[in-house]
Amino acid sequence: MNPLLAQFLAEAADLLSQVDEGLLELERDPSDPELVNEVFRAAHTFKGSSGLFDFPELTRLTHAAEDLLDAVRSGKLSLDSGMTDDLLAAFDLIRGWLAHVTTHERLPATAGPAGQSLIVKLRGPLGGEQATVNPDVAAALAGPVIDRAPDWLALFDPEWLEKTATWLSSTSATMRFVRFTPDQGCFFRAEDPLHLVSQVPALAKLDLIQPFEWPPAEEYDEYACLIGFALATRAARGELDYLFRYVPDQIEIVELNGDAIHRYVAGEEPPQPRADEAVVAAVAQSHTENLELARDAHAILAAAQRSLALEGSVSGVRLSAVARSVAAAAAALGVPVDTADPDVETLKAQVANLLTEVRPTPADAPPTPPPPPPAERAPVDRGRADDPGGQVGTRILKVDQEKVDHLMELVGELNVAKNGLTFLADAAEEEFGSRVLSRRIKDQYSGLHRIAEELQAAVMDVRMLPLSVAFSRFPRLIRDLSRRLGKTVELVTEGEDTMADKDVIEALGDPLVHLVRNSLDHGIETSADREVAGKPPAARITLTAVADGDAVIVEIADDGRGIDPAKVKHKAYEKGLISEEELETLTDSDAVDLVFRPGFSTADQVSDLSGRGVGMDAVRASVEKLGGAVTMRSQLGRGTSTRLRLPLSMAVTQVMVVSVAGQRFGIPVDLVVETVRVPSAELGRVLHQDVVVLRGEVVPVIDLARALDMPWTPDPAADRAILIVSMHGQRVGLLVEQFHREVDVILKPMEGLLAYADEFSGTALLGDGLVLLVLNMKEVLSLAARAQ
Amino acid sequence: MTDKRPKVLVVDDAATVRLYHRTLLDNAGFEVAEAANGLEAVEAALSTAFDLFVIDVNMPKMDGYACVETLRSETVGTPAPVLMISTEDRPGDADRAYAAGANLYLVKPVDAERLARVARMLTAGIAA
Repeated sequence: MNPLLAQFLAEAADLLSQVDEGLLELERDPSDPELVNEVFRAAHTFKGSSGLFDFPELTRLTHAAEDLLDAVRSGKLSLDSGMTDDLLAAFDLIRGWLAHVTTHERLPATAGPAGQSLIVKLRGPLGGEQATVNPDVAAALAGPVIDRAPDWLALFDPEWLEKTATWLSSTSATMRFVRFTPDQGCFFRAEDPLHLVSQVPALAKLDLIQPFEWPPAEEYDEYACLIGFALATRAARGELDYLFRYVPDQIEIVELNGDAIHRYVAGEEPPQPRADEAVVAAVAQSHTENLELARDAHAILAAAQRSLALEGSVSGVRLSAVARSVAAAAAALGVPVDTADPDVETLKAQVANLLTEVRPTPADAPPTPPPPPPAERAPVDRGRADDPGGQVGTRILKVDQEKVDHLMELVGELNVAKNGLTFLADAAEEEFGSRVLSRRIKDQYSGLHRIAEELQAAVMDVRMLPLSVAFSRFPRLIRDLSRRLGKTVELVTEGEDTMADKDVIEALGDPLVHLVRNSLDHGIETSADREVAGKPPAARITLTAVADGDAVIVEIADDGRGIDPAKVKHKAYEKGLISEEELETLTDSDAVDLVFRPGFSTADQVSDLSGRGVGMDAVRASVEKLGGAVTMRSQLGRGTSTRLRLPLSMAVTQVMVVSVAGQRFGIPVDLVVETVRVPSAELGRVLHQDVVVLRGEVVPVIDLARALDMPWTPDPAADRAILIVSMHGQRVGLLVEQFHREVDVILKPMEGLLAYADEFSGTALLGDGLVLLVLNMKEVLSLAARAQ
Repeated sequence: MTDKRPKVLVVDDAATVRLYHRTLLDNAGFEVAEAANGLEAVEAALSTAFDLFVIDVNMPKMDGYACVETLRSETVGTPAPVLMISTEDRPGDADRAYAAGANLYLVKPVDAERLARVARMLTAGIAA
């Protein structure tokens, strides 16, 4: 993808989200003029940039949206929700188009009709779309003037030309024809004409231009480029100029419409040059460059005349600016004038004079050559074009996520390499008997450790994003869903500045959407029901984020009908999830927790919103997979709140290393309560379940080796090593062979075939080069339950 | 060599347009700096003497007209040529630009060659 298009796509994403956000806010507060202005400007900027590319449908649609917003801005219309819907739909469509552009570098084939129907809607409030757009728009969209067909059009197959012309006429589109004649020595300047041509977007036709006569074999120089290219493309002029920016002298671009091609094919006379061209042609005939130069000089003089006529008192800096431009134009025309110490009247006269001189006079006006370009063309430094070095103001860098991920990986590897030093220190002492060397290595290690920690903290900081990123989709989601459900809902977000690792934020997306949908669908009553219950008709959903040590807590609260614990218990009983005894004894808060059980759904009817087969159990599972926890509190008639607690960062995990049957495994330290050693005789057995009594509490013990299906017979005389972990508030003991140290690791997900091994949550590399498998305790426990 | 390159300030809130203009002008032999709105442009002009300005009309914070007016006011006081480039081609817009102190008003998208030609023409004295 060329950098210009890449820049456009990146900028477009920002602008589109600004528009979306602005529109939603605007709907709440339609009278805020600054808000309208903001949305309008974003749309306007977007349109301006889109004009650089050959995306006519895109430009047309944004233009319609911009016009509507302009009417709102100027107070001619007031924004209603119908208009907002149409505008949102338009920008949604555009977002889809851009996704297509990202992969295919062109708009989807359906863009025309899809865009048109929205344009009609958007122009509706403006009094409908004028049958043939308004002249301003038409002029803006018609693009540059149609050139004369050049003689090298003969390079193209006439039949193809004919067909293309017919097609162009039927769509009143134009096509750019390019002749590219690479310099013979181009290869020595590391230019690659073929590569350049292969990058031409929307290529319709490509023909090779061979030399009129190939040199005889003995004179043939394979290092000289003797061929050229003739091509036809739908790409916009700007894109082509950009693509061929390093070889502007080697290309020729003409813009032709169907008629021009038809005329060429039919061998008719090319059209007469336009009147204003004839005007300047007298001054600088023959050579097009001179002609254009003269036309530009003319334009500058006309502008100067206009400036001088506008105000009686053009003075000071403004006057000298005008004088300078007049002098420059005059010099370009070859009739230098003295504009030092100008006064308005003299300058006016000079300009008038110059303008008449440029008027058609008999052929005596000498066609003066244009002044040479400033200095000799400075060699082009290819790195410069994309170099934002000269940018004024902003000091924020946008960095590709992958680069940050890569940095994080390197930090992980650095940590591993660093940990290797401790092993080396041990070896120095144990194997080579040098305690001094060992201590030196350890000193070195601690220095490196400090730097590595700081580096890690710095990279983690770069990865931090505000929670607003995760919250940003909710205004739109809640608006759309609440309308479909006929409910009135107000969204309040708090603490969106709270920062968390980008992976956490990304992973938070789906569970949050699910919870918010649940609230909307089941929690919140209709306005009528709410009024009966004595509540304000508009319900409220609050999204709150707060940092809590190295965790972030996100809470979704609604003031809806709440969860009826009796109903939940009953349902759970009906579904066989709880026993009759539990039906009687479960506390209300435990009852609410039942909604997280697999196979539970409180909605009597499954609606199309939340009843997609993903229940609260899935929410809990995905949050726990992130190393977090979900809890729910509810008060009947008052509302429900769900609290997600997630680690601030998933990048570094602290694990406790244990070994089982000679293999080492990691267990997340968060889950570990304590490590105990008990004489084997103290292990008891209750109903086929090994147990241990700790401070009066009976804790079930699971043989980790058996759960993982790894044969191991412990020494009957030795003490048993038991790791006590806490799962859902329950203590469970894991029988292991040996405890090792705690380590910080960068957890990598299980990939390939191992992706199906649910009992592991990931792998990590240890300092001595060993791969550590980190256990997913939830799965391990259920495996153990099945093994018994 | 770099001293000889005329300095141009490209002012536009759209980063894509800035990249486009930067590339064209860089190739046309200019030393290019960028500003994302009128305010930034004025700040830049206070610290650097530019030989040319290429300014968009519709921008946040300070629009193109106000920007040119400030450049021509006593605050900055630069007589360097100003090209205003706008998406709009409404009657009166060009006059507003000229009243503010612009030297030429062009409508987007500006043909690449034309931009380079006009830019060179207006700065011909500087690089010579």
